[in-house]
Amino acid sequence: MDDGDYPITSLVDAAAAGDEEAWHEIVDRYTPLLGSVIRRFRLATAETQDVAQTVWLRLLEHLASLREPRALPMWIMTTGKRESLRYLSARRRTVPYDLLDPLWLGSSAEDAEPVAERPRAERHEALLAGLAELPARQRELLLLLVEDPPLSYAQIALRTAIPTGSIGLARGRALERLRQTFAVRDHLAGPARVPVVSDGASPSLDRTAARDLDRPRER
Amino acid sequence: MGVTQHRWNDDQHILDDLSDALREAALADTIAEYGQGAYAWRTVDQDLLLASLSFDSSLEPVQARRSDPDDARVLVFTASPLSLELEVMPGRVVGQIVPPGPGEIRVETADGVTFHVEADDVGFFDLPGIPRGPVRLRCDTPTGRLVTDWVRL
Repeated sequence: MDDGDYPITSLVDAAAAGDEEAWHEIVDRYTPLLGSVIRRFRLATAETQDVAQTVWLRLLEHLASLREPRALPMWIMTTGKRESLRYLSARRRTVPYDLLDPLWLGSSAEDAEPVAERPRAERHEALLAGLAELPARQRELLLLLVEDPPLSYAQIALRTAIPTGSIGLARGRALERLRQTFAVRDHLAGPARVPVVSDGASPSLDRTAARDLDRPRER
Repeated sequence: MGVTQHRWNDDQHILDDLSDALREAALADTIAEYGQGAYAWRTVDQDLLLASLSFDSSLEPVQARRSDPDDARVLVFTASPLSLELEVMPGRVVGQIVPPGPGEIRVETADGVTFHVEADDVGFFDLPGIPRGPVRLRCDTPTGRLVTDWVRL
């Protein structure tokens, strides 16, 4: 696996150095992923807003510590889950008898969301993290292709400047690129394969590594 | 890789799954707006220590908390050589600078409201209420200056 051209690296570096445009692009790319993570916890609208705001604010201060930019989606997922869980845990405190509910009993930061939905949620998160890695034109094309109600190829051609006759081909290329993103490949390789990083210098991308990102550092 | 049979090898399947994923993601416009707005809070002070949230009792497993459901929530923000501990109780927040010593605490909210409290000679301080939404604390002491991670109290 070649980590050399991971497309998010320069964005993270630039945003950490104070490039506001780079920050805006990170937000654009990763908003669907964060929205998907928060949704797993069925929070109310105001709670969802609070969680999202907290995650973004905290990420802004942690960008410089994301030495391995592939850890960015993992950081967003981990922090989004934790912040969502705080609401669930506050509810549990106010309704103590719910503690006897087998769903909550024994639940922890890692597994408080409905278990049955997890594989589906993980598939979605892999695709959305993969989408975030794509070049802007391919991301835009895929977003147009899944609009609801559907757009015709003619309408898509107008918005993308891709000739109508080439959209089918461009669609195929964008989807192939999506399959080749780190996020999708890691997901397909399965949890046991994910931490394998070739050069030994990069941290692994499992949960332990995501937690390590929260360790104190000087700046 | 053993993935040749995966349903995502089919263009329509992977596109359908992507479509579901995007449609189900919560409140995309609002989330993006908060993200863009966050930039105004970027810290540019290089001498400031970032104290990361290293412990939060509300995320401990349920069994560990069951015996005392009314216990205060404890938060620890760690930096070196300075840390900050908070106890969040109903209607009140108290804090401790570690190592103990005097200092000034500034509470910042994402709404732009800030207020100051003084820590006493042994680093103890008391907030006059619980701010809503994300907050962070800045702490100014003779030993150093820190800012905590953003949290909701």
